[in-house]
Amino acid sequence: MNRIVKYLALVAILLLLFTSAAIIPAQDMVELELWYHGGTQEENDETRAQVDRFNAMQDAIHVNFVELAGSLVAGTGYNDAVNAAAVAGDLPCILDLDGPNLYNYAWAGFLAPLDDYMSDELRADILPSLIDQGLYNGKIYAMGQYDSGLALVGRVSLLEEAGVRIPTSIDDAWDLDEFNGVLASLQALDNVEYAIDLKMNYGAGEWYTYAFSPVVQGFGGDLIDKETLSAEGVLNGPEAVAAMEWIRSLFENGYATLTPPDDNEFINGNAAMGFLGHWMATGYYEAFGDDMIVLPVVNFGARQATGMGSWAWSITTQCDNPDAAWAFMEFMLTPEEILSITNVNAAVPGRLSALAMSELFGEGGRMNIFVQQLESGIAIPRPITPGYPAVTSAFFTAMDNIIKGGDIQAELDAAVDKIEQDIADNDGYPIQN
Amino acid sequence: MTRSSRFQSHETVYAWLMSAPALIGLFLFVALPLFGGVYWSFTNKRLISPLPTKYIGLQNYQNLLGLQIIRLQPEIDEATGEAQKDLEGRPVYPRTRTIVRGNPVYEGYREWFTTDVLGGRFVVIARDPTFLRSLINTFTFVLVIVPGQGGLALIMALLVNQRLRGRYVFRTIYFSPVVTSMAVLAIVWTFLYNPDQGLINRFLNAITFGRLQPDWLVSADSALLAIIILSAWQAAGFQMVIFLAGLQGIPQALYEAAQIDGGNTWQQFRHVTIPQLRNTTIFVIISTTILAFRLFTQVDVMTKGGPQDSTVTVIYHAVDTGFRQQKIGYGSAVTVLFFVLVVTIALIQRALLKSDVEVD
Repeated sequence: MNRIVKYLALVAILLLLFTSAAIIPAQDMVELELWYHGGTQEENDETRAQVDRFNAMQDAIHVNFVELAGSLVAGTGYNDAVNAAAVAGDLPCILDLDGPNLYNYAWAGFLAPLDDYMSDELRADILPSLIDQGLYNGKIYAMGQYDSGLALVGRVSLLEEAGVRIPTSIDDAWDLDEFNGVLASLQALDNVEYAIDLKMNYGAGEWYTYAFSPVVQGFGGDLIDKETLSAEGVLNGPEAVAAMEWIRSLFENGYATLTPPDDNEFINGNAAMGFLGHWMATGYYEAFGDDMIVLPVVNFGARQATGMGSWAWSITTQCDNPDAAWAFMEFMLTPEEILSITNVNAAVPGRLSALAMSELFGEGGRMNIFVQQLESGIAIPRPITPGYPAVTSAFFTAMDNIIKGGDIQAELDAAVDKIEQDIADNDGYPIQN
Repeated sequence: MTRSSRFQSHETVYAWLMSAPALIGLFLFVALPLFGGVYWSFTNKRLISPLPTKYIGLQNYQNLLGLQIIRLQPEIDEATGEAQKDLEGRPVYPRTRTIVRGNPVYEGYREWFTTDVLGGRFVVIARDPTFLRSLINTFTFVLVIVPGQGGLALIMALLVNQRLRGRYVFRTIYFSPVVTSMAVLAIVWTFLYNPDQGLINRFLNAITFGRLQPDWLVSADSALLAIIILSAWQAAGFQMVIFLAGLQGIPQALYEAAQIDGGNTWQQFRHVTIPQLRNTTIFVIISTTILAFRLFTQVDVMTKGGPQDSTVTVIYHAVDTGFRQQKIGYGSAVTVLFFVLVVTIALIQRALLKSDVEVD
């Protein structure tokens, strides 16, 4: 009896091997590999569904969807894998990349320019901030289905209970003094543990750069000088120091915690407000319905600033069939597919025509603040430099040290030194042609 | 040629054949990367860069080890010609950065730390303070974890060696962290270490009435300790099994003889168990030392080397510089230095702890 079972198992395995060989598509079909970074569960499922739709609607191209583990925002593990594959010559055809890493990849020469593929019509319809993010040295190297939004969220009921003014557009955003008052009033409410959740559970990584470099810019500082790419006097100047002092004061005053256990501090009511990227907005809306409100970022004085830039699709130079890869990208960039993903992840649709169709983001939609921020130019791309990996790592390390008690000036100085060292190590990042 | 020598040469061939799979693996995955690392450590090889790789001699090693001490002179008050004092009467010193940046001799140097001793202020500057800090952290980790974890393992082994009901269950429980993924454990322990809501601080709060509430991973003072505790807890089960095997190899007759001589439990432990476990202990010490030097996963998952470099380790620094900052040449130099260091320590340990002594 036992022996029969074993034989049956062997035969079953043999059958499996043969049938799986038979499933491999017909020979004239183009096989493309696609790497995806892995966002929230809903986002992953929808992206996978999009790839399935593309594979089902035609028989010439088959896209193999490969999801690599990475963290929600930073994608550190994913970036490591991409770097390793780039060296080993193992890059997939279609690569999903986080916007600011594009300049490093393009400089290193492993992304193919998309300009020749993009029709004028398509290009004119793309959200301008996405074009800005995709451009390096005059060419477009990546195109996302959506752009990101960084804003505050609050609950109307709590804000009213605290008796504070509720801004409704970017033009009447809170200024620094008013915002400090709002935090104090919310903190004073009985059923609130702390005023604002800053998502520190994401840890030292891209979130810090994405979310807090706009604060530094709002105070009048920046990460690097846009022309010289140098950080000296910019990231360690008095404005940046003031920004860091304010950020640290949020924790010292108890308005925020350094150690939220997870992503749910706003949903479970511990935090009265949230500072967040668009990717959390859907879940928050589901928790509170119309009580949840998206609020514009604070105007810190020197300028109004918020984050932008998100994951985008690109074609690598290691791809044998760039035309087929573009066919896939073109499909992903149709307004219908853009809306199908942005309805899930609440990111800002990347085409004007899609934006016009969107209930969420259109005029009066509950996510409209995100669009206002992108269109009015207060959203600032992260530093456009091939040295971005060094810039972001220096910044988030310094910030992590500062909020955990390090000396502000010394930490910012150290960050500047690291950025300068990286520029020197790369001969000043000469532009390659 | 006699029969026996032909037989011996056959044996040699078989020996090589049998060890071939392991040797090929060692060559491909250990020796070859090592040679590559040594070669790259003399270049500025980058991970992904269009720039050509250049031979730069010992530059990487100089950058790793560059260290200088400068004595700061207080700012002089131009009106009085004396040292400026702040409101509390302490001398005012210039910013270290101004001095380092203003003198070409110090190019590429950064402040590591500042200390007030011998009536003056001294600044230690280094080209890569993070690397030097990583050496200190790694050695601290090894020095604490080898005796700590080894002791814990021995105690656990003694406990589960008792003839108690359910001892197999305890053996399994104590061993289970060893076979669990470190990345998973690190994430779980990050929750446990949460200062406000974590289980550990809730427990400490209950038993000390709120007096003991460490910030664990959030503070530069306690982050390394937190990682040491997790690491010892995770790996002690492995050494426990080795000690357990050692304990069970001790002949029962020795204990019986000790009992006849009137030895109490402590004397039996001190004069029978400990000497009999000598070889086991040596193996545990050497293997724990080598494993401890490789500390990486916990740091990568839990702290990323922070806060303020308090948990950065040599391997973490090698991965961070080589991979994330894309300086393969530099990262290689870190690993080559590290290799030399670990081999030296292993050889010293080997010489100090001769394992061929048998106590019968």
